[in-house]
Amino acid sequence: MAKQASVTQSMSGLHTWAGLIVGWLLFAIFLTGTLAVFDKELNWWMQPELHDTGLDQVSAVRVAESWLRERNPDASAWNIGLPTERGPSLSVSSGEQRRGQRTQLDADSGEVVVPRETLGGNFFFHFHYTLHMPRSIGIWVVGFAAMAMLVAIISGVIIHKKIFKDFFTFRPAKGQRSWLDGHNASAVLLLPFHLMITYTGLAIFFLIYMPAATDVLYGGDREALFSELRPGNEQQVERAGRAGEGGRAPRAEVPAAQMLPLEQFIGRGEAYYGEDMLGSLSVSNPDRANARVEVRPVMGTRLELTKGESLVFNAITGEVVGAPQPTRTTLLTQKVMAGLHFAQFGGYAMRWIYFLCGLISCAMIASGLVLYTVKRRRQVKSDTRWLRQAEWLNVAVIGGLMFACTALLWGNRMLPANMAERELWELRVFFGGWLLALVHARLRAPLRAWAEQLTLIALLLLAMPVLDMLLAPKALDGLRLSVDASAAAMGLILGWAAWRVVCQPQAVKKTAGETKKIRTSRTGVTS
Amino acid sequence: MSRVATPAARLWPAALARTLLAVVGGYAFTYSAVAALARLLPGEPVDVVISATLVSFLIYTLYVLWAFAVPLRRALLSLLVIPPLALIGFWPNLFAGAA
Amino acid sequence: MSVSLFVAVFVVAYSGMLACCLGMERHWKKRASRLPTSWRRYCRPLGVLLLALAAYLAMQLWPLAMAWVAWLGLISLSGLGLLFLLPYAPRLALSLPVLAVVLLVIGAIWV
Repeated sequence: MAKQASVTQSMSGLHTWAGLIVGWLLFAIFLTGTLAVFDKELNWWMQPELHDTGLDQVSAVRVAESWLRERNPDASAWNIGLPTERGPSLSVSSGEQRRGQRTQLDADSGEVVVPRETLGGNFFFHFHYTLHMPRSIGIWVVGFAAMAMLVAIISGVIIHKKIFKDFFTFRPAKGQRSWLDGHNASAVLLLPFHLMITYTGLAIFFLIYMPAATDVLYGGDREALFSELRPGNEQQVERAGRAGEGGRAPRAEVPAAQMLPLEQFIGRGEAYYGEDMLGSLSVSNPDRANARVEVRPVMGTRLELTKGESLVFNAITGEVVGAPQPTRTTLLTQKVMAGLHFAQFGGYAMRWIYFLCGLISCAMIASGLVLYTVKRRRQVKSDTRWLRQAEWLNVAVIGGLMFACTALLWGNRMLPANMAERELWELRVFFGGWLLALVHARLRAPLRAWAEQLTLIALLLLAMPVLDMLLAPKALDGLRLSVDASAAAMGLILGWAAWRVVCQPQAVKKTAGETKKIRTSRTGVTS
Repeated sequence: MSRVATPAARLWPAALARTLLAVVGGYAFTYSAVAALARLLPGEPVDVVISATLVSFLIYTLYVLWAFAVPLRRALLSLLVIPPLALIGFWPNLFAGAA
Repeated sequence: MSVSLFVAVFVVAYSGMLACCLGMERHWKKRASRLPTSWRRYCRPLGVLLLALAAYLAMQLWPLAMAWVAWLGLISLSGLGLLFLLPYAPRLALSLPVLAVVLLVIGAIWV
C-alpha cells in the first residue's frame, strides 16, 4: 500500500514539474500550431492586394502559359502556382528554384499584382516547430518539449484516480476543484488527440531526434538512407529531367518542339488525384523536344503526407513518364503519422476539427499552468517567491502570446503596404507586443494583469472585422471574412473570460480561495 | 507517505539526480536500445531503421516514467544495461574498424 | 462536402456521448431521476450504438481512414461540449439532440 502511494506521488511530482517547466513552451507550440492549421487562409488574409477572380484552374493555366511564353521563353523551367480553395491566387516563376520569388498574376487580366510583403500564416507554422530559433536548435527544443508532453500525458493518466468515474464531470465555481475538473476533462476526453498530435509531431523529425538506427546500419549517413528510400522510378525521371536541363545537353542543342497546351494536363492530373486536388504545375525545358510537365497535388489528397509528390508527363506527346510509386509499408507508417500531424486531408470540416482540438489542447495546458498557481496559493507554507514567478509568467506566456499573435494580424493591416523591410517590421510588432505584455504582466498584480490583457486581446479580436472593412474593404471575400469572423468569435470567448475576471472585483481582495472562482470560469471559457 | 516529512532542501539533490537520469540517462538508454533493435530486427535495412526509430519515443517515455516510479538506486542500476545494448548494436561496426 | 451530413455526424456523436453519460449512475441521478430507473441500463448500449452510427455517417463523408480520424475528433469534441453544457445549461444539454433533429428535418424539407 505504501509503495503504491509513493508511485502515485512520484508520478504526480513528475507530472507537475515536467508540465510546469515545459508548459509555457508547450503553450506557445500548441497555440501557433493550432493557428497554423489555417496557415494558407492566413496567408491569403495577410495579402489583401490579391483578389479571388473565381477563375478555374484550366483558364488560369492558359493565362499563366501565355504570360510565361511572352516574358520568359528561354527559361529552363516554368512554375505555375494554381489557384486553390485555400489560396485562390495565381502565381508564376521561372528558372530552377520552385521556392524562389513568385510573381502574382491577376487571373483575369494577366497583369502582375504586387502584394504587400508579409510574414503570413507561414510565420505561425515555422514558429510552431522552431520557436523562431535557428532551425537546427529549434526543432530540438520543440522535440524536447514534445517528449516532456508525452511523459506528462502518461503520468497524468496514471495519477488520475477516477478517470472513468469523472468522465463527464465538471463542477464550476468550486475553486481548485473546478480547475482540476476542467484540466482533467479536457485532457481525458481529448486524450487520443493529445497523444496522437504529440507522438506524430515527434515522428516528423524522427531520424534527427534518434539517429541510433541510422548510425548502426548506415554509419550515420542519412542521405544514403534517403536515396535508398526513394523509389527507383522517380529517381530515373528526375535524372533524365536534370540531364536535359543542365550538364550533358545544353538547352540550345535540343530542338524546339510544339508542346501540348498546358491546360490539358489539369484534367489529366485531376483524373489521377481527384477534382480540385492540384496545387501547382511546372514545365522543364519549355517548348523543347525534351520538355516535361509536372503536376503536383495539394497536400492532403490522402492521409499520407504527400509533400513533393508529382505526376510527370512528356509535354510533347502527353504520355505519362513518371507516376508516384506506392510507399513501402514502414515509410508509409511514418508518412501517415506525419500526415496526421500536418492535417492537410479531409477538407475544411477536418481542418475545423483539428483547429478546435488544438484550441482545447492549449486550454488544457493553460489550465494546468494556472492550476499549479491556484494549488500553491492554498498551501500556506509554500514558497511564495516561486509562486509569484509562476503567476506572472503564466500571464506573460498565455496572455502575452495571444496578444502577440493578435498584434501581428493588426500590424499586417496597419503597417504601410509598401514599407521597406516590411516583414521585419511585422516581426518587430509580434515580439515587441509580446515584450510589452511580459513587462505588463510583471508589473501588475496577477488578477489585474489577467483581466487587462484578456480585455485588450478580446477587444482587438472583436474589432478585426471592422479593421478589415476600414483598411482593406476591397479585399473582403469569403475566405477573409471567415478569418475575421473566427477572430471575432475568439474575441467573444476571451471577452467572456475577461468579463468573469473583471466582474467579481471583490474577489481580488478576498482570500485566495475566493479568487479561484473567477479563474475557474476562465478555464470553462478557454476550453 | 513517509517521504512527505523530508525537508525540501534534502529532496532537491535526489530530484535533480532523478531528472538527470531520466533525461540524459533515458536518452542514452533509448539510443542504445534502438541501436540494438536496429541490429536484431529482421528485414531490409531501410525498414528496420524506420521501425526501430519510430518506437524510440515510446521507449524513452516509458523509461522516464519508470525512472521516476522506482527507487533511485534501482533506477541508477539501469545504466548498466546501456553498454551491452550499445555493443549489440555496434559490434560489427567496431569489429570492422578494428580489423 | 455536405454541411448537413457533417452536422448530422456531430449530433449523432453528441447524442451517443449523452446517452453514455446518462448511463452513469451519478449523472442519471442528477439529470434524469424523473424517468423510470430501469431505463438507465439501456443508456450505454444506446450510446454505443449511436457512436457506431456516427462512425458510419462519417464514412459517408470521408474515405475510411480519414473517417476514423474525424470520428475520434468529433466524439471527443462533442463529449467536451456536453461536459461544459451540463452544468451551465443542463436543459439545453439534454434537449440538443431533439432540437438538432427538428432543425435537420426542417432543413431537409426546406432545401
